[in-house]
Amino acid sequence: MGTADAIVVDRLVKRYGDLTAVADISFSVRRGSIFGLLGRNGAGKTTTLESCIGLIAPTSGTVRVLGFDPADRRDLARLRPRMGVQLQATSLPEKATVGELLRLYGTYYGLRGNPASVASRVGLGDKLDRFAGKLSGGEQQRLALALALQHDPDVLFLDEPTSGMDVYGRHVLWREIGALRSSGKTMILTTHYIEEAEHLCDEICIVQTGKIVARDTPAALVARYGGDASIEFAARGFSVGAALAGLGRWAHDGDRYTLVARGEPGHALAKIVEYANALGVTIAALDLHRPSLEDAFLAITGERIEDPRSEAA
Amino acid sequence: MSAAALATAPLERPRRSQFRMLLAQTRMNFVWYFWRDGEMIFWSLAIPVFFLVVFSFALGMGSAQRASAFLVPGLIAAQVFSSGFWGVGAMLATFREKKLLRRVYLTPLNPWTFFSALVLYRMTLLAMQATLLILAGALVFKVHVVGNPFAVLGILALGAATFVALGTVIGALVKTAESANNFASVLTVPLSFLSDAYIPINNFPAPVAHALRLLPSTQFVDAFRGIAIYGEPIWHYAGWMGALVLWMAGAIAVSARYFRWI
Repeated sequence: MGTADAIVVDRLVKRYGDLTAVADISFSVRRGSIFGLLGRNGAGKTTTLESCIGLIAPTSGTVRVLGFDPADRRDLARLRPRMGVQLQATSLPEKATVGELLRLYGTYYGLRGNPASVASRVGLGDKLDRFAGKLSGGEQQRLALALALQHDPDVLFLDEPTSGMDVYGRHVLWREIGALRSSGKTMILTTHYIEEAEHLCDEICIVQTGKIVARDTPAALVARYGGDASIEFAARGFSVGAALAGLGRWAHDGDRYTLVARGEPGHALAKIVEYANALGVTIAALDLHRPSLEDAFLAITGERIEDPRSEAA
Repeated sequence: MSAAALATAPLERPRRSQFRMLLAQTRMNFVWYFWRDGEMIFWSLAIPVFFLVVFSFALGMGSAQRASAFLVPGLIAAQVFSSGFWGVGAMLATFREKKLLRRVYLTPLNPWTFFSALVLYRMTLLAMQATLLILAGALVFKVHVVGNPFAVLGILALGAATFVALGTVIGALVKTAESANNFASVLTVPLSFLSDAYIPINNFPAPVAHALRLLPSTQFVDAFRGIAIYGEPIWHYAGWMGALVLWMAGAIAVSARYFRWI
């Protein structure tokens, strides 16, 4: 662990009686990067995140954030001004306006500014006078993000930041998180949206039943665990000749052919087209399936992540 | 907004002051939970005055003025009970259930500052309620607060502190906002009737009246009424005031042991 790491979690364990929420998790997060904890609900992501911000005292193991121990009162007091947190499901006072909340939370950090600019960063610039209780779920989450970032923290903790958000809200949030990364912030987020982890994170930990089962960049996880690309097409009068047999595993059902390609599928595709041309056969209904993070997740954990969009929450 | 603009966003390095946070938080509490809540305004200001006028005529203590002299301090005391049980105790349980306490815990706002702002807001409201009741008593029934102003404020502050402390016990022991609210009403309403606030406990059989004098609410009501309206010297109630201090100390001990901020 060097000073290049903003967050270091070492052999973290959290037990509640007989229930083990986190069983031995270790990772570190480089300064200026976005780190994602990806897993199903109940995998231990939130417990891990809350151990980093002093909401949960670890049963054993250590956590350091910017060199501070969040389980220590004094360290936590020094850490608080430098961290920003967006929690799941905080309900803000219903009769409070967006502007009032931003201003009040600003006073917690010694800010005396106009909240209009931070509000417009999260797309709430025209809603400063709107009551928090009248905001949509997605707007409330964008407000929660604004409350987390307006004091320019060095490290941000986002717990399921886009859960239940509409497409626009997610887009705004992703854009904002990207901008924060460019400005050098360190972020750690939990998510059960594969797409979100793949789109945002420099590095992903896949968490299953309180343990890290894989950790790498999204591309490396896909390359290592996602399996091979496959090519599917229909071609009347086609046959797999000797020149094609070495490209991978072939299967066919009538005129429909499937190749699970070994290596780069582009190369295989070129060979197939060339061969078909030589035969004078037309290729139709061609599909190229590249492995995704979802395939990698399934291969690693042996289970599918819940379909996030089917959740009402 | 571009990344470069973000990096240079005008953010002065903060000078954090808990005092400034306290004032801002108190003001927002007042606006959010009182000023913008019509029901709250109605129940906390209009209803006590309505009770004063109606009960003064209905109580049958010889004259409406005598009844009013009894009721002005009694109704103020009932507001003290509800400030503690509802205003502080049930509110804290609600804030915890809504995860607002967790959210605030993650900021540099000191939990004590947050708590003080809640108390300060309720004390401001209590001052408004007391002023309104005293004015109504004076204008309608010619009831006057004759006690030494410092003694009156002193006993009121002691009572308020005691019931805020007792209120935090609800916030500490009760898990959900709903049951905290139920506890607050179960305590506030009967106590107002059984503690010499709305009706004289001398109307009860003597042993019952004696038993009721063991309640901190009765002790506070009697001391407050005696000092404020009947102009008795504060040391007449030294015993009751000592009892209130004990109640407060016990309540603080229980809250300190069991209150969970997150």
